[in-house]
Amino acid sequence: MTFFTVVVRGLLRRPVRTGLTLVGISIGIAAVVALVGMASGYEKGIGKQLDVIGIDVVVSNMSGGILPKVYEASLQERIAKLPHVADTTAILMQMLSIEDAPMMMVSGRQWGGFAWEKLKLIEGRMPRDGTEKAVVLGRLAAEVLKKKIGDKVQIEADELPVVGIVDGQALVENGAIILSLPVLQEVTGNEGKVNFIDIRLTPKSTKEEVTRLCEQVKEIFPAGRAMVASEVVGTSQGFRIARAMSWSTSILAIVVGVLGVMNTMMMTVFERTQEICVLLAIGWKRSRIVRMVLWESALLGFLGGLCGVAIGVVGVKLLTTLPSIRGMLEPDLNPRLLGTAVGIAVVVGLVSGLYPAWRSSRLTPSHALHG
Amino acid sequence: MATPIPMAASTDRVFEAVALKKEYDDGTVKALRGVDFHINQGEFVAIVGQSGSGKSTLLQMLGALDRPSAGTLKFRGTSLADRADLAAFRALEVGFIFQAFHLLPTFTAIENVQIPMFETKHSVSERQQRAIKLLTAVGLAERLHHFPSKLSGGERQRVAIARSLANGPSVLLADEPTGNLDSENSDIVLDLIVRLRREQNITLILVTHDMGIARKAERVITMKDGRIISDGRNETSQPD
Ligand SMILES: Nc1ncnc2c1ncn2[C@@H]1O[C@H](COP(=O)(O)OP(=O)(O)OP(=O)(O)O)[C@@H](O)[C@H]1O
Ligand SMILES: [Mg+2]
Repeated sequence: MTFFTVVVRGLLRRPVRTGLTLVGISIGIAAVVALVGMASGYEKGIGKQLDVIGIDVVVSNMSGGILPKVYEASLQERIAKLPHVADTTAILMQMLSIEDAPMMMVSGRQWGGFAWEKLKLIEGRMPRDGTEKAVVLGRLAAEVLKKKIGDKVQIEADELPVVGIVDGQALVENGAIILSLPVLQEVTGNEGKVNFIDIRLTPKSTKEEVTRLCEQVKEIFPAGRAMVASEVVGTSQGFRIARAMSWSTSILAIVVGVLGVMNTMMMTVFERTQEICVLLAIGWKRSRIVRMVLWESALLGFLGGLCGVAIGVVGVKLLTTLPSIRGMLEPDLNPRLLGTAVGIAVVVGLVSGLYPAWRSSRLTPSHALHG
Repeated sequence: MATPIPMAASTDRVFEAVALKKEYDDGTVKALRGVDFHINQGEFVAIVGQSGSGKSTLLQMLGALDRPSAGTLKFRGTSLADRADLAAFRALEVGFIFQAFHLLPTFTAIENVQIPMFETKHSVSERQQRAIKLLTAVGLAERLHHFPSKLSGGERQRVAIARSLANGPSVLLADEPTGNLDSENSDIVLDLIVRLRREQNITLILVTHDMGIARKAERVITMKDGRIISDGRNETSQPD
């Protein structure tokens, strides 16, 4: 018999209680995995999109809500004249409720701009020109909305025909409704407005030159900000909100987990007062008692973490098959997140065991053994 | 455990108590009111007295299960109060047998016997072998993997005896070890303790109500109201 046998025996003595505690931790850890995995999947998706389209610098006014505020499209001409700018394209991006889907990305793109380049037509055709009142759908958007070529999509008050279905090579593109900029401006009442100007740099621009460019943009457009594509994800308010929400919900789940494990460990320590006194009486060191309790609670956390990760992964996979979520999110369940989640669970276990362990180590051996 | 032995005269002296007192509940209960005695190596001492006279309290002081409120208690010349490693003392120097057995319910007989051995450097298999040997010595070779709930009272106490001997102590402290047993099992358990003690030259201090048992001891200490009222050789002691 090893010390580990003692630890495991401690958990097995009340299998139902141990099981319920495991369920509690698992749910908390599953929530962490699901929320953080989705938030980070969302971020990665956007980063990938910028990459695919070949955007180097994005100009926007991030002070608004989830999407940047709109501003005058005329800014584009002045930005295009700045040094090291090879090309620019203006975009008006809106998150709109489209028919049954609560939130869909609707992207109005400057006709002929480079944002159209990477879209591969799967079916149908592209809009004939910048003024045709028609949309193309990313392939996931088509699935989510259950639309084929020739169907109409209701955007705000207008009904626009679907002329093509495209593969945008990034999840966010595939989940979007894409149309010409002036059409979306008209439909949403944003004439002359955009909320993104994407910049492609001249080849071999140095870091300093890019920084300088960003400063110059700031001079022309004080309310806005030019960001190197790789920074966009980190600074966007939407992402920050998503990240903060996912972590704060996770912390709540963790606190609940701590209380659950602590309660269980307090109960085992209380009901085992006499046994702990016996252990002390036959010569166990207090430190061994402390270790026993901490190992038990850490093991409880570890097992809960494993179950939680499994539940989280399966749960997220199931969630992403729901029609209303599909295409919006590709969760990022990387091994590091899963490892961190198990690690958190072990720490939860250990922290919960501290007080019970301390309590049990304070016992006097004779305490429960009189007579 | 090498314990320093300051004086040659105290070599055989296992315990030495001077003005030993123990109070509970902030002094409202005086369980020991000043007890002086010494116990020599290899002695078999019975402690008798009325209920509440302080017998268990005294035995707990000897086993370092609790601290005295006043007075000194030396083990082989060293005051227990000065020992930093009371856990090691409890694990290695003394073995404790309780009236209520106090086996751990979630461990089998052989596991219960191994519990005190965690405080030694023996390997897992050495501990296992030793536990088998001890359980065989108490006649339970056939019950190694039984949980306490599946053992009779007498068998449980024999497991507890094997456990008390786990680390080869030089002193056995038994608090009414037959108090929860019927007369047949009492005899078996008592004979076992007495025989093991003789074979291994262990000092045995045994608390009992039963004068029949006390008569088997070489020396009887009688307590009353937290004091020793008599302490003498048992002339009729019948080594069996
Ligand atoms: N933990 C404790 N807290 C308070 N009082 C205690 C405690 N332990 C013992 N006492 C009291 O100390 C006195 C001596 O108790 P002790 O158990 O030593 O008696 P005893 O001689 O072993 O009695 P018995 O024969 O009934 O076992 C009793 O009055 C008892 O109530
Ligand atoms: Mg007693």
